[in-house]
Amino acid sequence: MDIRSAAIDLGLISPEIIILASAMVVLLLGTVLKSRGLMAFLSLLGLVVGLVLVLQQWSQPQSGYYGMVLKDNFSVFFSVVFIMTAIITLLMARDYLIAKHIDRHEFYTLLMFSTVGMMLMAGSTDLVVIFLGLEIMSVPLYVMAGMNKIDPKSNESGIKYFMIGAFASSFLVFGIALLYGASGTTDLRRIMADFSFLKMQSELLLYSGALLVMTGFAFKVAAVPFHMWVPDVYEGAPTPVTGFFSVGPKAAGFAALLRICVYGFSGMAELTAVFWLLAVLTMVVGNVLAIFQNNIKRMLAYSSIAHAGYILVALTAGGEGAVSSAVYYLLAYMFFNLGGFTIVTIIDSRTGSNSQIDEIKGLAGRHPYLASLLALFMFALAGFPPTAGFMGKFYIFSEAVRNGFVWLTVIAVMNSLVSVFYYLRVVVAAFFGKPDQEFSPVSFSPALFIALLVTAVGTLALGCFPGYWLELSQMSMFPII
Amino acid sequence: MEQQILTLVTFFPVIGVALLLLVPRERADTIKAVSLIVSFVTFLFSLLMYVMFDPVANGMQFEINIPWIAAFGIHYHLGIDGISLLLIMLTTILSVIAILSSWTAIKTGVKGYYISMLLLETGMLGVFVSLDLFLFYVFWEAMLVPMYFLIGVWGGPRRIYAAIKFVLFTMFGSLLMLVALLYLFFLYHGYAGEYSFDLLKIYEMPIPLGAQTYMFLAFALAFAIKVPVWPFHTWLPDAHVEAPTAGSVILAGVLLKMGTYGFLRVCLPVFPEATIQFVPLISILALIGIVYGALVAMVQRDVKSLVAFSSVSHLGFVMLGMMALNVQGMEGSVIQMINHGISTGALFLIVGMIYERRHTRLIADFGGLAKSMPVFSTFFMIVALSSIGLPLTNGFVGEFLILLGTFKANSTYAIIAASGVILAACYMLWMLQRVIFGKLTKPENEKLVDLNIRERLVLIPLIVLIFWIGIYPKPFFIRMEPAVKAILSMVHKVDRADVERKEGIHVAQPTCVGTTCTISGGGAGCGK
Amino acid sequence: MASYAAVLIFLLLGIGLVLVTFFTARLIRPSNPYKEKNQTYECGERPFGDSWVQFNNRFYIFALLFVIFDVEVVFLFPWAVAFNQLGLFALIEMVIFIVILVFGLVYAWKKGVLKWV
Repeated sequence: MDIRSAAIDLGLISPEIIILASAMVVLLLGTVLKSRGLMAFLSLLGLVVGLVLVLQQWSQPQSGYYGMVLKDNFSVFFSVVFIMTAIITLLMARDYLIAKHIDRHEFYTLLMFSTVGMMLMAGSTDLVVIFLGLEIMSVPLYVMAGMNKIDPKSNESGIKYFMIGAFASSFLVFGIALLYGASGTTDLRRIMADFSFLKMQSELLLYSGALLVMTGFAFKVAAVPFHMWVPDVYEGAPTPVTGFFSVGPKAAGFAALLRICVYGFSGMAELTAVFWLLAVLTMVVGNVLAIFQNNIKRMLAYSSIAHAGYILVALTAGGEGAVSSAVYYLLAYMFFNLGGFTIVTIIDSRTGSNSQIDEIKGLAGRHPYLASLLALFMFALAGFPPTAGFMGKFYIFSEAVRNGFVWLTVIAVMNSLVSVFYYLRVVVAAFFGKPDQEFSPVSFSPALFIALLVTAVGTLALGCFPGYWLELSQMSMFPII
Repeated sequence: MEQQILTLVTFFPVIGVALLLLVPRERADTIKAVSLIVSFVTFLFSLLMYVMFDPVANGMQFEINIPWIAAFGIHYHLGIDGISLLLIMLTTILSVIAILSSWTAIKTGVKGYYISMLLLETGMLGVFVSLDLFLFYVFWEAMLVPMYFLIGVWGGPRRIYAAIKFVLFTMFGSLLMLVALLYLFFLYHGYAGEYSFDLLKIYEMPIPLGAQTYMFLAFALAFAIKVPVWPFHTWLPDAHVEAPTAGSVILAGVLLKMGTYGFLRVCLPVFPEATIQFVPLISILALIGIVYGALVAMVQRDVKSLVAFSSVSHLGFVMLGMMALNVQGMEGSVIQMINHGISTGALFLIVGMIYERRHTRLIADFGGLAKSMPVFSTFFMIVALSSIGLPLTNGFVGEFLILLGTFKANSTYAIIAASGVILAACYMLWMLQRVIFGKLTKPENEKLVDLNIRERLVLIPLIVLIFWIGIYPKPFFIRMEPAVKAILSMVHKVDRADVERKEGIHVAQPTCVGTTCTISGGGAGCGK
Repeated sequence: MASYAAVLIFLLLGIGLVLVTFFTARLIRPSNPYKEKNQTYECGERPFGDSWVQFNNRFYIFALLFVIFDVEVVFLFPWAVAFNQLGLFALIEMVIFIVILVFGLVYAWKKGVLKWV
């Protein structure tokens, strides 16, 4: 047996290798050199090279390492989302980190480690590799949440995230073990192929395994009732990190969920009911609780729960179209959510900021363009046309209606009505509110400018000219039987 | 040019927005001038379109149909018939007037204000030109955003409440409409085997009655909130009272028409059986709206909320005429949409002018204005009388046709509705009496300056239109007639005999032409 | 289900055996407690102070480093055993693996983790 030609293909994982290598270089160089700007630049370079390498893999599905690594369009699409998320986070984080005196090179390293973990999660059909990716993704996140060591809230955030993360992982591992017990394999493709046979043979094991795996991921994507940790963790973590949390791990969790539940367990029709319930609970709880938040980070935390609910609607609908609608939504969500977080980060970078919604009052008077962008992102989150938020929701809802879930869609649209209310609160504060004292101006840097430009252009492009992006998301499919 | 004119008219204000972004915000005068010129050029384009429009041709004109989002079969499909033509003209005229009227009223955030105005204009025009339901929905929703800012930033003391209420109410309806839209979309896919939101294609599809009922309800709710049909009207007084003058003008003049236009363009032709089924319900709601709006208007102490409630009453007439489902009723309904835009728009302008001078709108604070402001009072008088529907003015033509059409369909409805006309005279004249007649009791009112050139310039076009439609409405009727008949034939195609038997309507075409000509001739006769 | 019965029997036997041993031991052993015997066993030393003492948290970091190298050994050992069969390729792989660990060690060193303050 020739190991080299059969399984080992470094080209296949070259993006991951590049990003890992630059992470380690930054880790070591940072201990020697003092310039944090250089570290940030090197990390950015590594991520961009990784992005280019990932894009090379588009449209040429390959598999390697005995089928443990799979580079189909689905994983490439998600890898692009993860790397873009990391890049935008990096761009927005720099000034914040300096302002809060936590500009450490470890931040960049951890960001890249976590990104690699996500890429592994999306790029495999093997449960063990998915779990491995999950851990590589999560451990750096725990540290990042607690980055601001002198802030008790940041510490609390780190600890809470760690505890819940470990808890969720144990569910997941237990579920994987049961699935292995039922099927004798951890490869989803083989589970799917033998599904009807396995179901006859050991139904109980199979179903409890599937439910446990779903529970594990439900924690990661913050679906109700596994969402309790989200507000505290999001509030306490440094703001750019929160932005990263709300997009990266969520997208990774959904990538894995889509692979496992829509692909692996496509024979398990009963999961639809579970997803239906999860979707409704997640949307309702997320949206209703978001109304009562005065802290913008907590508000966005609940909003991210609600958005997970909309994506769960797609998972409930099932089928190829639904998967690509979820994929499209996540891409759109990345743009407008990170855009929103970029502005919150900018405002939070001011000294004495406490991320209260009231602190935004008077933004329009001082920085009209920034306020307009904030409004753009909030309207996108609320799902107004012609933004990406509308097209994303439209796609998901259309798939739900296509598959006959009309009432679920009605619940979903009523939820987005509720969401309008709290997103508009932010706009109201920015435009209509009279500040208690003069709005202290925010500082701007080219990095922030690029981050805002990318997110705003993405938000509008996916909304006004969605044709091309829709095609991309439809190509980003794995075969469903 | 034929093909591009609609795109040009619709998106020209966006070009204005791009220009405004380049102007520094300190240069308020440049900003005002640019937006005025842009809106005026848009008006000129629409005038060109009016001239190019073939008044007697059937079907849609200036159609443009190019793929937009291939995955959903969504096309950039624009086209207009006579009804949309008139509403587009109304929109472009009122936009120029609204922009001119806010010259001195808006002092803060001038740049944002005019950007919102122009974006709003594009949104409204887009609704009237779209023949693709998806496009229609996008414009329908997108238009909320600038209106929200207009009310919320430049509005009165309770503006935030009013703005949010406006958005939430409208969103509630339109989101349910979205679900129905998607259902319709997949229904069409099942029927024709292709994905399309194209309204003209969907017109061809027969829909089972059960599905029609649900979808009609969802669409009708969205439109009814916008109109607003009683009992969905509660957002309207708040929005009107708090909005800046120009916002109220646009809101009353154009935005409300989007609801009635939606009924005409989508609900009636796509769900004909459901429409016939719901005629009694909507007619009764419209009647309640007519009487309720008038009664509530009567007891208002604030002139602006009086005008706002009179809108509820007037839009009731529009809905009632439409639900008569005959040519007279529907033509009256369409012309009444235009009339309401002109008259109520003018009323809001007048209220805005007096508010700018006195910073109050309470009826009790005025009295005897005819002495201190004779020109103002004359204009006020004319506009108020046209709103009542005095012969020779536009209101008469619309209300007369509506009552005639309704009488043919159901005489009881017509009798109740006629009481609305009397009530309208009551509240309007009583208000006039208290505001402009009588003795000058308040010293503040003695010093008031009469209208300046700009303000007269704002009102004169509307006064001209009031008399034009009142005396010689034929050009308007000629243009809308093919469209109205097309809609009616689609409503009645299903069960013509049944409807005729029940409602005693003659849908035969020659009669209609005759009636219309008689009516317009009658109007002309009055003029002599 | 038959195969699970074996597991169940195995489980019951396992628990039962332990219980039986404890119980019989208790029955047959002499019981003679005295002071020295009841003391906490600390390798023959006389215990002093409270057992609830604060540890220097440096120990945790050392423990972490230990775990890393512990895992490394777990990985290295099977490789070393099968070295002849695996050949050059596995050698390179293992070198990469160790280099990554060295990166971590250097980082820890630079951060001053190896210094006892």
